[in-house]
Order: sequence, then structure tokens, then C-alpha cells
Amino acid sequence: MSVGHVARAIEASGIPTVTVVTKSFAHRASEMSIPRALAVRHPVGRPMGAPLDTNRHTYVLNAALDMFESTTVNGTIVELPEPYRPVRFEL
Amino acid sequence: MTPWAGYASSGTLGVMDEPDVPSSFEAFRESFAYGERNDLNFKFMKSMTDAEAASFLQKLLHQIGDTYDTGDAVPLIETVYQAQVDSYSPAPDSPPPMFSYADGPLAPVETSLRNTRAGLLTASGHFVSGDDPNPFGEIAMTQERAIERSEDFLSSTPLLSEIPVATPATELRVRHAGYDIRSSLKDPNVTFPIDRMKEARDSGTIGGLASTFFSFPGITAQGRLRNVLPQWVERIHEEDVDVMLLVPV
Repeated sequence: MSVGHVARAIEASGIPTVTVVTKSFAHRASEMSIPRALAVRHPVGRPMGAPLDTNRHTYVLNAALDMFESTTVNGTIVELPEPYRPVRFEL
Repeated sequence: MTPWAGYASSGTLGVMDEPDVPSSFEAFRESFAYGERNDLNFKFMKSMTDAEAASFLQKLLHQIGDTYDTGDAVPLIETVYQAQVDSYSPAPDSPPPMFSYADGPLAPVETSLRNTRAGLLTASGHFVSGDDPNPFGEIAMTQERAIERSEDFLSSTPLLSEIPVATPATELRVRHAGYDIRSSLKDPNVTFPIDRMKEARDSGTIGGLASTFFSFPGITAQGRLRNVLPQWVERIHEEDVDVMLLVPV
């Protein structure tokens, strides 16, 4: 909800925004008419993907950046279909 | 009480007082949301019914039995993920949300991405080592202490941290009373994709980056946040960015 206010304020000042939201909060994006939202099927607290999953982070980032050029209507929400995936690494 | 090897609210293992036996299943599931068994990955159980929580835990235990043989934790993660999504989704008879808008602004994108200067603002609670915002005047607040003060965060004005883009990931710190920060401690790009943004710049996907990124803990008073937004927006404009990527947690 907090970033919904931020998105609307920045956008109203003339700077386009894309907000990456976890699916659990996608309904907030809809309720608040966030200008452009990318919904990801990741758990809360891991919006870009698992730690060190750089490929997933980049995939999410590129999908978000694409929305700057593809979105023509306020309130657009694009959902990525890929589920969260853990990455094995040594602590 | 007997010393007990339990998990602190931050998710770290330590010796702590054994939690009391809950008086009911309802008390048990609610204790995961800022209670004796606080676990921010599972605080959603508070909003479940007893029947939903019982079914969820039974399914999870059954799948753990499968994991003994397969070693594949993905089904467990999917079960928890789906329960989380279902719990956060508003029920059909829910009251209307506090903030709801039929429409909103849509600023035009003036240039191609390759010529765009991009900024980043997250609600992850990151800051630079040595530049701790010290919420409520507390010096070096720990994650555990932040969780103890979650109600104070929810009634206070958020503090916006400035993070120079040149900051190495090793100099980033994170603290947030609303989500499990363990993933962000392992890799800040999980919630604050500073390295991925630099890579997008270096590959030419985007034309350039702001000199400073921003972060704040999204667990905050919504009205107070709205009051400070004009100053935040003014500061963002000083970065001369064409677009902003926003990442709540």
C-alpha cells in the first residue's frame, strides 16, 4: 500500500513508474490504480526472485522495463507466470 | 523457564525462553504474527480460519514426508506461497479498502529505454552502512528490536534513505519490521536490485542511472507517508530521471 501512494505521487509529477509487486499484493495495485504494475509469483519479501538467482532478477527487471514502452492505460497489471524457484548455495 | 533452542523473530537460532503452550489453536496460529512464535514468512496464518490453518499445516507436513524421498522443496514453497496469496486476498465480504481509486495518473514515456535515465525506490528498508536512519532515535536498531516496535513504525513518518549508486552491495544494510529480511541479507538484489540496474545500464538496456537510489521501510503510517511525499518527489526530480522503478516487498 505504501508504494501505491509513492507511485501515484511520482507519476502525477510527470515521471513514469513501474511497480514490481508480489502476487499477494497485486490486489492493492488494482485497488489503488497504480499506473503500471508487474505481478510476480514470488513469496512476500522476495519480489525480484531468490538470493543469487541473477537470471530471474534480470528477467523480472527486463519485464518491468518493457512496461514503460508497452503500457498505454493507467492501472495496467502484467503477471509473470513463472513460479518462485530456490537457488542452492552455501551459507 | 528452561533455556530452549528456538528461533528468534529475525529467524536466527538462539537460546531463548520456551514459549508458553498456547491456550487454543487460534492462539497458536496467531502467535506467528508478532507473537511468541513470530515468523514473518508465516504471519499470514493470523488471517486464516482455524480450519484453513489446520488444512494448510496438514498439507505441509504431508509434503515434508514426500520431501524426505525426493529432496525437492519446490512443492513446499508452492503450498506456502499459495496459502500466503489466498490469505492476503480480500474476502468477498471484506469492507472496502481504505485507499481505493477508480483512476490515476499515467505520465507519458518520452524516450526509448536505451536513452532513458532510470531511478530506483524500494520499500525494503535498505540503507548504507554508516548512514543508519536510526528510527525513533534508537542507535543501531536490530531487526529483532524493529519487530518489537512494529506498531511504532505503523504510526510514524517514514524515513527515506539515500543510497549512492556506486555503493557496493557489501555496504548495504537492511532492517524492516514487516518481512523476513534473511533473503535480503544473503543478496540485497532480492528486494533492492542495485546490481541488476547497473547491469542494465552497462549492457545498454537503459541509457543511464540516477546517481542516488532510495529506500524506506514500507511498514509506516499511510497518512504521514502521504504528507512527506511532496518532499520525496522533489528530491527524486533532482536526480533528473526519466523513469522510476519501484519495488515494494
